[in-house]
Amino acid sequence: MTTLERNPSSVWPWIVMAVAGLVTFVAAMSVSPDAVQGQLSRIMYVHVPSAWLAYLSFGVTMFASAMYLWKRDLAWDRRAHSSAEIGVFFTGLAISLGMIWGKSTWGVWWTWDARLTLTAIMFFVYLGYLALRRTTDDLDARAKRAAVMGVLAVIQVPLVHFSVIWWQTLHQPPSIIKPEGPDMDPSMVVTLLISVLSFTVMYAAMMYKRIDLARIEDAVLIAEQTNTGPAAGEAVVAPDLSGGS
Amino acid sequence: MRTTFRTQAMAITKRDLMRERRSGEVLWVTLPFGAIALLLIPIAIGTDRPTLRAIGIGLFWVIVMLFGVLIAVRQAHTETQAQRDVVALAGIDPAAGYVGRALASFFLLIGFEAVLAVVTVALYDVPLDGWIWMPLVMVLVGAGLSLLGTLAASIVSTGRSASALVPLLVAPLSVPLLIGATQTFEALRLGRSSLTWTLMMTIVVLLLAIAGVLSARTLQESG
Repeated sequence: MTTLERNPSSVWPWIVMAVAGLVTFVAAMSVSPDAVQGQLSRIMYVHVPSAWLAYLSFGVTMFASAMYLWKRDLAWDRRAHSSAEIGVFFTGLAISLGMIWGKSTWGVWWTWDARLTLTAIMFFVYLGYLALRRTTDDLDARAKRAAVMGVLAVIQVPLVHFSVIWWQTLHQPPSIIKPEGPDMDPSMVVTLLISVLSFTVMYAAMMYKRIDLARIEDAVLIAEQTNTGPAAGEAVVAPDLSGGS
Repeated sequence: MRTTFRTQAMAITKRDLMRERRSGEVLWVTLPFGAIALLLIPIAIGTDRPTLRAIGIGLFWVIVMLFGVLIAVRQAHTETQAQRDVVALAGIDPAAGYVGRALASFFLLIGFEAVLAVVTVALYDVPLDGWIWMPLVMVLVGAGLSLLGTLAASIVSTGRSASALVPLLVAPLSVPLLIGATQTFEALRLGRSSLTWTLMMTIVVLLLAIAGVLSARTLQESG
């Protein structure tokens, strides 16, 4: 199947995204609010899945980048690019929601907490990755450079994840995945797992659409590069010497 | 005549250091700029001596990271595509080129760090607790920054807005080195072992070296 043969206007990914969003919304609104934090605790059902998707996206970017370096197939490059873009969006969302929650709970929009600071740095690393992709229109050169960066940048993910263990931070340590079991109410754990699952499905649908778009972008770029336009002097026609007869 | 990897790397190092000797970019521009930054900060935040003593070592590492990036990525601005092509056509192993460039940056960074350390101690009256660890940490930070900067410069060597993009890539990725350097001295100040932090920096340096050597050929092909 060639670049433009697959139907990029397929609507089912949009439907999947809408259903996943709706499931998260219903689940988050139907669970009882936290006894201490009240309604504010509902932010967690979007904040935590967003952070999870950031990890997942950047992990996929690393894997796809490594696969590109191995196979030299531009399809892997498109996967890496698409996943990084989605990851940047969800990292931004996780930071924004965390700031809103922090303002209400800690009284400040930002605090110099290890998890927060390192997440912001991870955001900038992947913004750099996306900026790097815009430095050249040569598809192969772009893919090679981005693949090296995609593999290198993933070092931020374990740094962010383990920051709450390595440092004494305001951000709470892992609440669910821990040896002694979750220290949350079971209804909240179930809701959180539903949200994480819904967001993961949403990620898959977003990837499908974004990869389609990346394929079209590449096809347009190739078309622009191969279409050399009119040759110099092509518009000049030979003079009519027949005298008009 | 067939040359070894080591000979090729040393030739590139020598070339870069000779270029620096001619231009004096690090000695006459970046180094004074870093010292000026150390002078400006107390003007902005106040000259309270206990505060300056407390933040001195952290500021030193921040200045080393931010200005060290300029040293580590300088070949992105100075080396033209034609020069890169000549190196490639001369049959220089791309990995040897990477090691050679990184080694030249490493020597310059060590000098930069040493001078700035003296300036910081003089201006900020920094306590010299755990100074015996300083050479080791300086070597690890210098090695990490030079490897990272050289790799980033290779990644964006010929792209649009390369000179602006390289620091954007290097500065956030150098965070493990900054954390390692500052936490080593924080741990020593608190009487704890700093082995974990030096180990973390060593792992980062090794990973960067492996990544740079393995990707050198791919990045040369993309140039």
